[in-house]
Formats: sequence, structure tokens, C-alpha cells
Amino acid sequence: MQVDLFTISVLSSAVEGLLRNHLIQRFISKCFPRSPWMTTPQQLSCFHTSVSLKGRRWDQNNLKVYPPQLPDEPRRPAEIYHSKRQFKYSKDKLWYLAKLVRGLSIDEALAQLEFSDKKGAKVMKEALLEAQEMAVKNHNVEYKSNLYVAESLSGKGKYLKRIRYHGRGMFGIMDRVYCHYFVKLVEGPPPKKTEKTSFDAAKEYVQGLKKRTIIHSL
Amino acid sequence: MLNKVLDVHSPVPLLLTVRTKKRYFIPPAVGLKRKRNANPEAHARAAGIVFRQEYFERPINIACTAGIFDPYVPPEGDARLSTLSKEGIKQRTEQIRQSAASQLAIRKIKENDPEFSSKTFAEKAQEIFIEAHNALTNFNKERLHSLVTERCYPELTRGNRYKTIRWRFLESLEPPRVVHARCPDMVSKGNLYGQVTVRMHSKQTLAIYDRFGRLMLGGEDQPKDVLEYLVIERHLVNPYGSWRLHGKIVPSWAPAKDPIIKTVQIPGPELKPWEEFDSQGYQVPKPEAVQWYK
Repeated sequence: MQVDLFTISVLSSAVEGLLRNHLIQRFISKCFPRSPWMTTPQQLSCFHTSVSLKGRRWDQNNLKVYPPQLPDEPRRPAEIYHSKRQFKYSKDKLWYLAKLVRGLSIDEALAQLEFSDKKGAKVMKEALLEAQEMAVKNHNVEYKSNLYVAESLSGKGKYLKRIRYHGRGMFGIMDRVYCHYFVKLVEGPPPKKTEKTSFDAAKEYVQGLKKRTIIHSL
Repeated sequence: MLNKVLDVHSPVPLLLTVRTKKRYFIPPAVGLKRKRNANPEAHARAAGIVFRQEYFERPINIACTAGIFDPYVPPEGDARLSTLSKEGIKQRTEQIRQSAASQLAIRKIKENDPEFSSKTFAEKAQEIFIEAHNALTNFNKERLHSLVTERCYPELTRGNRYKTIRWRFLESLEPPRVVHARCPDMVSKGNLYGQVTVRMHSKQTLAIYDRFGRLMLGGEDQPKDVLEYLVIERHLVNPYGSWRLHGKIVPSWAPAKDPIIKTVQIPGPELKPWEEFDSQGYQVPKPEAVQWYK
């Protein structure tokens, strides 16, 4: 019985890290009005190169400044972006909570998260409370209850890799999962969800059938 | 041996007789009790990394003072009386000669800065004020730094970074006057700073818009009469110094400013769990009228 000898060669993780940390030049559209205090002499170039190492795009949306509105325009609702980064939970499990909260007013969302049994609910509730406080303090929101959750997303954080031991000397690489949570609060009452009745659906179906034509005909 | 060469931490020795697929990456194991780097400094030095000497420094700014010394206390009802009444004329004809300290200070300033004249300085001060506020609305940082001292700069710009400010100087209702002057010397004798207070009564419009373009304060078509006491400062000993806006004095009898457009929550009284809040009997506490300088 011959037993083959294998040497397990190892690739240094440092090289992998270098490849990942390579500065990727991204093109952000030049019409991204940032704060007027941040003018640089290189304003004329069309493309803005950003260090996308940290990927903090979501929070940069908070720095966007709009020009003053004319008195006859409808009042622009305030938008507040907030995120909680790199906490110990699974992004797939967090998605269920994020989907629950989508479209609710902030008070309802906080109530639902307070009485949810999941671990991610605690972190999400902290994020929502922080965002609410930021809105009132920094973004000129008048009533703290007049907010609703417009967008709520979960994202993958940086994983740690570990060894999971199997039998017979086999092993697998285990991921210690971390995730991010992103939320966007908008001022105003939550939008009403219009329920589509079966009659409407049937009507649309019939209209679709009626507007069929024969193309490329004489 | 191969472990140390490649600096890899593996739970099992590298040369292992297993009938598995060749692994290219083995992640570090958890709970490996190896002795931590006993002396990271020696390790770094051996590796050849050189650290620059650390300086524990704290920058001090000597181009301007930190406050207003011996502030001017504006007399009560300064702008209420019209020029035509007797009391008004009495007030208007108050010369700065009443205060000896101011005269001394002006003499000192004239020694160091021969171009200073108390008659023309007030106009210059008003110009500095207008230019500084225009630079603030246009977000011209360099111009603002040259017109405004380092102490005044954060007071002007704090919180304004993501806001739009529209300010206009309409007209001056009264000619500006120099009312007060002081010449303190900081730290060592001879390090003179000149602080001159200028009184001006003018019409201005101010409108502040928040991040989303909604009006926060004031209005562009509402001119307001403003009585201000500006403090202009200069580092006299410095040959490259210039007269810059240092701050404002707000008298204790100044009328309350217009409130901002949004409603603000004021924290109520602290209640025990069994107490109830009596909204009728509760009066919002007003801050006491004190002169303060911005």
C-alpha cells in the first residue's frame, strides 16, 4: 500500500491582502454636490478618484448639500443615511429583520424591533435611535416621529476565517460572519401601500390582451 | 522549521501524510497558545524599521488673543433714543475722551502703527465686517482667515459647513464710531495687541438654508436694523499684522433674536414615576440677561 506524501504548501496571506488592498479607481459622477466649503483647485477634472478601501459611500450621502429652494417649490423632505458596521451577525439573518422594517414609520419600526427575539434586532434598534437623534440635531428635522424608514439593507462585513475540524484529518475553512446594516430615514408620513385587488389584476390582464397587434404586417 | 520560515501558524505539522487535496491556504487556528512577541520594539528594530522621534507638542497661536480684555459695557438704551431729542444729542455727543484708558490705548496704538486714526478707523472697520461676511457666504476660507482672527473664525463658521447662508448689507443707518480701545500685552511685556470696539447701526438681511435648501432662519426680503459692537484686533508688534475682526459684544439689554422656524423641544422638569406633569403651572425658564461677547 503506497501512501503518497504531499507537502501542504501555503500561500502567504500577506500577498493576498496586498492584492485586495490595491487602490481601485472608481468614477463617481461629477454632479455629486458636496459641501461648498470643500472646493479644491482640481475641480475641473471630470472624474473623481476615491479611495474605496473603506467603502463608506452610504454615509457620504449625508454630506450632500442642495441649493436653496424657491418659495413656490414643494418642501423637500429631509433624508438621513446611517449605518452600523461590522457587528457579529449573519447578513442573511439580518435581511429578514431589515425587510420587516422597510416602509414602516420610525415609531412602529422601533416597537417591532424591541419585541423581536433576534440578536440583530438590538443592533438595528440602536442604529435607528442614533439616526433619529442625528436627524433632529444635525439635519434640521422638526419632529422626531415624523420619519419613516425608506430603505433598510444588510451587507456583508469582513469575515474571519477559521479551521473547522472534520474526521480523518480533513478540515474545512469556517467563516466567522460579520455584517453591516444600512438605513435611510426620510421625513414625512410613511407612504401608503396600495393593495391591488383581483378585479384590477383581471382588468389589466384583459387590457394587455386587447392591445396586442400584429407587427411587421401589411 | 518550515513554519518559522514562512511565518505560518498551522495546528498540525506541515508535512502530514494525508490523502487529501493539496490545500493552498490554511487559515490561522484559534486558541493557539504561543508566546506573544515578548519585545515588539526589539523585533521591529531587528527587522530594520526606524521610527521617527515622537514630538509631544501642542500648537499655540500667537497671532491673536483668546478673548476680549476689559470689554466695553454699552450704555442702556443706546439706540432707542432718536437723535432729535435732548437725551439723544447728549448720547451722540459722548466722545471717547471720557475714558482715559481708551485714550492711553489709542496713543499706544498710534506709537506702533502710525497710520491709525480714530476718525477713519471706524469706516475701515465696517468695510472689514462687510467683506468678512461676504467671504462667509461665498465660503472663501483664505479670504476669511485674512479678515477674521483665529478666535473668531470657529464662531463664525461652526455648524455652517453644510448650510447655505445668504447675507446682504443694505445700508448703514448711522456712521460707525470708535467707542472703546484697549491695548493689552500678553505673556511678556511689550507683546502688544490692540483691541478697538466700534459701534455700528445698520440694516442687514440674513437667510440661512439647511442642507436640503429649506429656510431655517430669517428671510431674504426682511431687512433688520442691527446695532452691533464689533471688536477689531491687531497684533501691533508684528509688522505683517492687520486689523481683523475679533468678536462681537452683545449687551445684556439687547432685544431677543427671532426664533428659528422649526419647533424645538425644551427638556421639562425632572419627575418621579408617580408625579404628573402640570402643563398649565409650568413656566419655561428664561436665561438671565447678561452681557456676553461672541
